[in-house]
Amino acid sequence: MGPPSVEFAAVTKHYGRASQGRAALADVGFRVERGAFSLLLGPSGAGKSTLLKLVLAMEHADEGTIRVAGRDIDRLRKASIPFLRRNVGAVFQDFKLLPEASPLENVALALRVLGAPSREIHERSAHALRLVELDPEIRRPSRCLSGGEQQRVAIARALAGDPAILLADEPTGNLDPRLTQEILDLLGAICRRGTTVVLATHDPLVRERVRFDQELHLQAGVLVFDSTVGGNAKLAETRRKLGAVA
Amino acid sequence: MTSALSVLRAAGYSIRRGLQGMRETPLVQLLAVATTAVCMLLLAVIVLAWLNVRGVFQGFGVDVPIAIYLAEGAPEEDVQQLRARLEALPEVDRVELVEAEAAMQRLADGLGGERSLLEGIDAKILPRTLELHLDPEVPEIFSHALAQRLEGFAAVDEVALAGAWATQAHTLIDTLGHLVLWAALLVALASIAIVWNTIRLAVYARRAEVHILRLVGGTTRFVRGPFLVEGALQGALGAAVALGLVYVGFRAIEPFLREGLSFVFAASSLRFFFPSEVLVGVALGAGVGVVGSRIAAGRSIEQ
Repeated sequence: MGPPSVEFAAVTKHYGRASQGRAALADVGFRVERGAFSLLLGPSGAGKSTLLKLVLAMEHADEGTIRVAGRDIDRLRKASIPFLRRNVGAVFQDFKLLPEASPLENVALALRVLGAPSREIHERSAHALRLVELDPEIRRPSRCLSGGEQQRVAIARALAGDPAILLADEPTGNLDPRLTQEILDLLGAICRRGTTVVLATHDPLVRERVRFDQELHLQAGVLVFDSTVGGNAKLAETRRKLGAVA
Repeated sequence: MTSALSVLRAAGYSIRRGLQGMRETPLVQLLAVATTAVCMLLLAVIVLAWLNVRGVFQGFGVDVPIAIYLAEGAPEEDVQQLRARLEALPEVDRVELVEAEAAMQRLADGLGGERSLLEGIDAKILPRTLELHLDPEVPEIFSHALAQRLEGFAAVDEVALAGAWATQAHTLIDTLGHLVLWAALLVALASIAIVWNTIRLAVYARRAEVHILRLVGGTTRFVRGPFLVEGALQGALGAAVALGLVYVGFRAIEPFLREGLSFVFAASSLRFFFPSEVLVGVALGAGVGVVGSRIAAGRSIEQ
């Protein structure tokens, strides 16, 4: 079975001084099991992006413990963080692609950092693009692709290094309903291949459009619902916390 | 083996991306190289002047405070005995025996382009010499006392002291040497500032790429690599351009210097940097560029 892919224990994160304003995340605790599809729901500003940044070690928690694939990331040396990120693919609403580079070049970037040979980079990049149903032979700059295609390129890049975990932060935020469904289906297929998927979205309708194993609700930095924990009691407790920090 | 190959591939990527980065902003690169070259031009001129002045004084023998000309036909045993006694003196730093052929070669080197003047002259007309290098702390009075005593030896024909002018020459060389050091420091700082500014702009222009590379697991060294290559090339090109300009200037004024200061340069040939010195200069330029780019691509890359 192995350790959970992601585990938060009493995690609190403030931006700026802890004494000023409310916490971006307050006493958040949950676990995402290996191979699970976890849906992280919450309105804008609820702390979803902060949570994902903490998993990627782009931010550091003020309190609590975060484990990714069993490793306490606060104890990681600075030099080890890139190696953590190679095991955690990430997709964002704004795609984060090099606009002038072709899809293949964008995907190849994730493999160049591994020091892979050129031929292997080409083969694995092409394979990742085919996985997301894109033609590796597309030579156009990525900025000339549709939003859906750009997001597929971003997902292919996140998958190219064969990560154990895929984090998706509002990946459908810029897409129309048809493309949204395509991307959600793609994320579902990726999860069925064995990759743990954490999908953060503000759109509650996504619940009806994708099969998921776990549902987490964030509100004002507080985890108010975790479908894997005894529902009502937990909900009451977290609502009480929410009242305390609001 | 795999790790070494990975490092090589990362280095290859850094070079390719660094060159691409330079091609993307040609005007900025041109300005950076030109301003770096102007700074380094100043340093190159000062260093070249220092090398030539030092060469002139060395040609006149300021490096040898006491020259003991040995008597013709002095027995080898006496010479070696004298040498051993001198080496045993605590005031003496070292003793060198210069044979007549070596002395002739030095003379020819000192005449440079005018060495043809020595054609047909037998080296044997020059005496064998013991050159005494004293400890820098030894007072001048010691040289005079030692010279007086040495003249009493049968194996010694004559003793020549460099005298007070040699001390002044040393002072001048030292002063110029300090000037070179300070100029080098200032030029290095100015060049670092120029490269730093250029690379900072490059990091800002490519911040999205830097962010993506960090996101997909690029190590700091990997992300920083192309910027270091860019900085190194700017520094090396700046140094190369500066040395090229100094060479053109040197060749232009060399005939006038030779004509106007023929007495001075008869003792030591006027010279430009040796190829090895040019390579060192370009390498130092690259080093300065690396330092500037390393500072510029510091914190922002690590985040």
